Amino acid sequence: MLNVININDNITLNYIPMQKLKTVTAGMYIHRELKKDEASKNALLPHVLKRGCKLCRNSVEIAHYLENLYGAKFSAGISKSGEDHILCFETETISDKYAPDNENLTEKAVELLLSVVFKPLDTFDDGVFEQERKNSITKIESIINDKRVYANYRCQEEMCKGEKFAIPRLGYAKDMAELTKEELYDYYKSIIISSPIDIYVCGDTDISAVEKQIRQFVDGFEFTKGTMPESTIIHKSTPVKNVVEKLDVTQGKLSIGFTTDIGADDDRYWGLVLANAIFGGGAQSKLFNNVREKLSLAYYAGSFIEKYKGIMMVNAGIEFKNFERAYGETMVQLDEMKKGNITDLEFESSKGFLINSLNSYYDDQKALIMFYIGEKVAGTNLEIEDCKEKIKNVTRSDVVSAMQSVKADTVYFLTGKEDE
Amino acid sequence: MQKITDRITGESIYFKKHESGLNIFIMPRKDYSSSYAIFGTKYGSVDSEFIVPGENEITKVPDGIAHYLEHKMFDQPDGSNVFDKFSKYGGEANAFTSFNMTAYLFSATANFNENLETLMDYVQSPYFTEESVKKEQGIIAQEIRMYDDNAPWRVFFNFLGLLYNNNPVKLDIAGTVESIAKIDKNLLYRCYNTFYNLSNMTLFVTGDFDVEETLAVIEKNIKNHEPFTEEIKRIYPEEPKEIAALYKEQKISVAMPMFMMGWKDNNVGYGGEKLLKKSIEMEIITEMLFGKGSELYNELYDSGLITQNFSFEYSPQVDYAYTAIEGESKDPKLVYAKITEYIDKLRKDGFTKETFERIKKVVWGDYIRSIDDIEGYAHTFITMSFMDINYFDYYDVYRSVQFEDVQKRFLEQFDNTYSALSVISPV
Repeated sequence: MLNVININDNITLNYIPMQKLKTVTAGMYIHRELKKDEASKNALLPHVLKRGCKLCRNSVEIAHYLENLYGAKFSAGISKSGEDHILCFETETISDKYAPDNENLTEKAVELLLSVVFKPLDTFDDGVFEQERKNSITKIESIINDKRVYANYRCQEEMCKGEKFAIPRLGYAKDMAELTKEELYDYYKSIIISSPIDIYVCGDTDISAVEKQIRQFVDGFEFTKGTMPESTIIHKSTPVKNVVEKLDVTQGKLSIGFTTDIGADDDRYWGLVLANAIFGGGAQSKLFNNVREKLSLAYYAGSFIEKYKGIMMVNAGIEFKNFERAYGETMVQLDEMKKGNITDLEFESSKGFLINSLNSYYDDQKALIMFYIGEKVAGTNLEIEDCKEKIKNVTRSDVVSAMQSVKADTVYFLTGKEDE
Repeated sequence: MQKITDRITGESIYFKKHESGLNIFIMPRKDYSSSYAIFGTKYGSVDSEFIVPGENEITKVPDGIAHYLEHKMFDQPDGSNVFDKFSKYGGEANAFTSFNMTAYLFSATANFNENLETLMDYVQSPYFTEESVKKEQGIIAQEIRMYDDNAPWRVFFNFLGLLYNNNPVKLDIAGTVESIAKIDKNLLYRCYNTFYNLSNMTLFVTGDFDVEETLAVIEKNIKNHEPFTEEIKRIYPEEPKEIAALYKEQKISVAMPMFMMGWKDNNVGYGGEKLLKKSIEMEIITEMLFGKGSELYNELYDSGLITQNFSFEYSPQVDYAYTAIEGESKDPKLVYAKITEYIDKLRKDGFTKETFERIKKVVWGDYIRSIDDIEGYAHTFITMSFMDINYFDYYDVYRSVQFEDVQKRFLEQFDNTYSALSVISPV
């Protein structure tokens, strides 16, 4: 499926051909190791770069350029996969086939993408830098806006205290406030030549033309070989940590962090994936059916795995007074899993649920690209069909033995300010 | 069966009005892995006062009942949950209630026919008991509470409360903890028997399958063959042109104030092609005014008054419509002042034709890319069909939109007398 072209030691072009959709999606991903002193720069840089380049000198020019491409999309941001801090630049356009005047829309969209990353202005504009810095600080503070996200974030933060993984995706407000535009520009110059960069193109296009375009853009840079950041999973054997936080909210949010001792490259990994699906991954799961349907304690209750760190998280929105019951029921269901009390329906339908999600990636360019990046970051490099095969082969005893290494580590509860 | 083909994209849709009254749309999607079906009734949170066909008396039901009914449809007579059935066939099922529609849906990458049969079966098989109805109160109360803490949701409903004096669109879709306490099994059956008559429903299916075979599966699974001969009379209170209030502020723990502001559309009361044309014109106008390339957006952004968290939308319906802008700002009142000032200025100066031509391209591109998203397209299609719009007419209507139409529409829609501002400020 994936067609890989090495541009040089650092830059890889990955093509995922797809005819059925009417768009082409392209993304550029710069991998940096998650580090305390770089995190804020990584978070800010994409936002400053996307404000202007040699091709389009400011936001208005970029916007009009995209509008003329029938509203092509362009975005930049930061993501965190385990201890890989990834600067992301993405674009999407309708395919040339649907261009009313036979315009080369893909070429033009990719041109902007490359220009933003490889041909920035000679210096960052003062106003732009200040504005984006302010906005990035606001974004850090805004984590509190969505309480569901916030509770999960806080639980992971408490759980991983002292670990590199605890460094926040959006960086630190304090570091950002101290940064100068010159420092950020120098940082850009140093990382652009020394980091692994993945470019993905998904859709219907002439990839050799894109390759040529990229080669022209990187001509003249002197690259030094970068290495892909690696994540290590969390091993802990400390007593369960309880954290209660009070905020002005009407609904309580329960978030429980578990260690699994299982990473993506572990033989037990696919057993854990299925175990999580049975436990809390969707409407067929034990948490949904017991915490929500049977006990009416929550509107949402579910779990997911952070595969790069070997963590499993449970999240639920509940009445303040139901904390003990919801926590208790979660642990009862976990115990049921460990004992192997899994019905045939739960087992088979959870397999179906996972295979269904994997199949659906084939209809979504962005999801396909994200899938491949996830595989690359985890170092597993599987295709979708490989994953389906692995899920099909998981046995009940695989599920039970994976679940037996799952241990509660941190219990976080966000509750109201008034007592009762 | 009637076949309609879009000459620009080559996509086709098959349509049949079944004798049960059900509207059936089938859209084949070659090479897609996923298939999708959505079974919807033209019945939403605004429909709490109505006259059942054949009766004379007005029926009034508690707010939130359409949504409550949606939740209870998942219970099966044998005590099982319908999610289990879908799970067996690898289908992912869901449902939602909006102001004007309740819809049941699934997506699947295998066993399409079995999933479709499951969908059609459960939506046509209500089973409510006093006990099961009561049990749902806890879950829905948690859903309502979840939204109480949800700033984007609150800023939205407070905004609607400013625009509308009486129109029930201003009420929470799920109702209130008090209103849902009045819901019982008899009320649910009464609403079900009224609004889930197939003559009030539409089924849209899409995926890589055989059209004739799919139609046969659908027809075989239709249970009720007695369409209403009269329309369901929906009673909405009279809504004056004026807005209810100009400003509302609520405190929730957020980092920066959030706002929603917008304009009430008083040119309502019709659906069909006329409404589609208005919507396309409004898509163009709002993009010209507030898009990333606009003078206004860049001025607000550069002056630090707004962040990239800024969006806008025109929401058309037959009985109400409005334009809304949503974002965050350290000073929402100043944003409101700047925007309304700009609108006043533009009412004198007008748009340039060049901007219009460029933005018309954007709207075209957005239409083309919307077709790729099988779920989103199905939603749009069915929503439009409940407003008597054939979404496949998009291209022809789009082409008919002229610069003059857009200028006129702008003056009609952007009158600051009918604008309001809702703010969520930090605790």
